[in-house]
Amino acid sequence: MQGDLKHFGGTQLLSLISLAKKTGTLDVDRSGGAASLAFKEGKLIFAAIGGIDGSLAAVLASAGRISQDQASALSKRAQQTGDKQLGLLMIQKGYISQADIIKSIKRHAILAITQFAGWDSGKFKFEPTKLPGGDRITVPVDMENVIIKISREKKRDEELEREIPSLDVYLRHGDNAKIDPKELQLNKDEWQVLRYVGPKNTIRMIAKSCNMNDRQIRRVVGSLREAGLVELDFKVRGPKLTTEQKKEKKALVNRIIGRLQTIGED
Amino acid sequence: MAAQTVKMVITGPFSSGKTQFVQSISEIDVVATERKISSEAEKVKEATTVAMDFGRITVDDDLVLYLFGTPGQRRFDFMWEILAEGMLGFVVLVDSARPETFREAKSILETFRAYAPTPYVVAANKQDLDDAWDVDDLRVALRLDENVKMLPCVAADKESVKNVLLQLLYSILEEMDMDDE
Repeated sequence: MQGDLKHFGGTQLLSLISLAKKTGTLDVDRSGGAASLAFKEGKLIFAAIGGIDGSLAAVLASAGRISQDQASALSKRAQQTGDKQLGLLMIQKGYISQADIIKSIKRHAILAITQFAGWDSGKFKFEPTKLPGGDRITVPVDMENVIIKISREKKRDEELEREIPSLDVYLRHGDNAKIDPKELQLNKDEWQVLRYVGPKNTIRMIAKSCNMNDRQIRRVVGSLREAGLVELDFKVRGPKLTTEQKKEKKALVNRIIGRLQTIGED
Repeated sequence: MAAQTVKMVITGPFSSGKTQFVQSISEIDVVATERKISSEAEKVKEATTVAMDFGRITVDDDLVLYLFGTPGQRRFDFMWEILAEGMLGFVVLVDSARPETFREAKSILETFRAYAPTPYVVAANKQDLDDAWDVDDLRVALRLDENVKMLPCVAADKESVKNVLLQLLYSILEEMDMDDE
């Protein structure tokens, strides 16, 4: 099974693997990052994606359980012992519990699925016979719930694209902006965006200042709008009509008004 | 010399009454581009506009007003931007009796506002139906700003359509006056 994510997207592919209970490894090659995801009977058991090679050290570092320096040292060690032995050693020495290792690997798997589901380009190939080496720690993760969640989010993103079709518009405070800020339960991103709301900043400018991509800023603006805290402001901030142009336009509009008022009297 | 032409766009979700709206006021038979509906899900009516509806009102010897009704189905939205170019203003029609289309109406409204920052009004169509939502409730449902005109409308009634267009024209004047201040 091979193809391009342009024609068969990440979510569709994950859904197929899950439904067909496939076993094997899906390798994806794309500009901006490759991925290698291994499955057993439709469940994700190992993921290397976006600079995290799926090794125990990398996964624990990404989960914040160990520092990058510790991860480098552990990686060297793992080259000799393998991840399973390394994990056992860490548990025996009391550095980490087995539950923490499993939790970190599951977290990494879910993040990997979520990241991969968003990919819409890149060559993929599924090899049924290929599985991770025996020294790797594999934790089976059900993908159904994650796929449902991702599909919902995708649908919501599509809706948001329709609700906020352009990022080159301004934001202004909505009716609920008068609520005491202490009563609002906003997250960090929402607070950050709210700080920039005003007549000088388009959504695109705010996204840049907050270091957010189009999808992230749409989600934040979408939730702030839902709460009535901001409104889109489409006021023209380009060149204004000259007095003469305005006079002409007014005269034209008045002529149309005059004509419309006579309709029905003809 | 050819008469000057200006245009207004009538938009709104599928089956909100755009074709009827243009037909009610146009002095010519509306050039409608209706086709039989193929999708079962959208079969609340027999035919739908696939390109645009085109109506005309002669203002005087030198000025003609064109009314363009947009296709309501999303798959024809590539037409919207073309129709929106250079418009004097636009009307968003909402079927007051079909709350399942309100979200789409809001989305279309935002899309047109993004195309061009021209004045607009929202017309709550089919107010003659028993299950039509009240205009004030619709305003809340659509989360419309209090300074956006939300007008009751029955697209089959010429006077009602006339009122909506006049209100849009008044909004255009008001906006220009506000710019002066």
